[in-house]
Amino acid sequence: MGVTILRTTSLGTLLAAALVVPAFGQSGVDRVDSNTERVPLHTVIPEYPEVPRRDRVEGSVQVCFNISRSGYPRRIAVRHSTSRLFEKTAKKAVRQSTWKPLSDGEQESGIKACRTFRFSLVPVSRDEPD
Amino acid sequence: MKTRHISYWILLAAAFLLLAGPELAADEESKTVIGPRNALLADGANALKAGDGVEGVRLTLRGLEMAQGELERKMGHSNLCAGYILIDKPLTALPHCNWVLERDPDHWRTYNNRALVYLRLERFEESEADIARGQALSPSSRNLKIAKGMLLDETDPVRSNVEVDERRSAMEDGSDDPSNN
Repeated sequence: MGVTILRTTSLGTLLAAALVVPAFGQSGVDRVDSNTERVPLHTVIPEYPEVPRRDRVEGSVQVCFNISRSGYPRRIAVRHSTSRLFEKTAKKAVRQSTWKPLSDGEQESGIKACRTFRFSLVPVSRDEPD
Repeated sequence: MKTRHISYWILLAAAFLLLAGPELAADEESKTVIGPRNALLADGANALKAGDGVEGVRLTLRGLEMAQGELERKMGHSNLCAGYILIDKPLTALPHCNWVLERDPDHWRTYNNRALVYLRLERFEESEADIARGQALSPSSRNLKIAKGMLLDETDPVRSNVEVDERRSAMEDGSDDPSNN
């Protein structure tokens, strides 16, 4: 199974995130930000579920969550999804992932982090190994 | 990949078996019969369900010799088709599937079994046609969906890929996708 991890590192995106966050706070909705400045320690890649693979279904799921001081995800929830077939494995992958714990002087941001998982199927020739 | 296919075959063949026991309990004239009338067919079906293809085929062949009525013979041939798939004899399985479908063209389980036979023989177009016929008769059949997946794995194989994206609006509009710039 192929795996790709994309992470936001550009200054432009960081700035965009910073501008968006107050708007969420004002509306009383949970603040959501992809970049919480928490460093991923162990990122679990979900398995492509058997049923959608069999039925040639592709899709994506965005999972949002808080990260505790000790680096574990909390309040994991699906924010967007193109198919429910992928939600369980996506949430499980987040649940099994960890982030670097905060040191004593660091404050929790309280901002939700999000991860989007894209499940795709790439044609291969019949002779190519799986 | 090969290992997965082998296990698929076992799962499928076992799942497709007709339950000779309960179905034979009520015969064609709707008499009430306690237990299966043709114990050999029932035992053969149970052996096939348990994955014992050799024993299942042996018992079913014996049961077929003393089968009474079209229903019992249909069960026997259908189970033989499944049984021979299980022991990897698709050419031997094929005439048993054909026997059933000539007499009962709406028997979706046998379309499913014959699709597997054709798949094993790499006769993919015929396999696809049987899956389509079966799905027309039983649209929600899980077995037929599995058979379709197996066929696609042979004709249009794919490699699964999972991408993890931690960017905020990655799913909303793709506007921050570098490939869009």
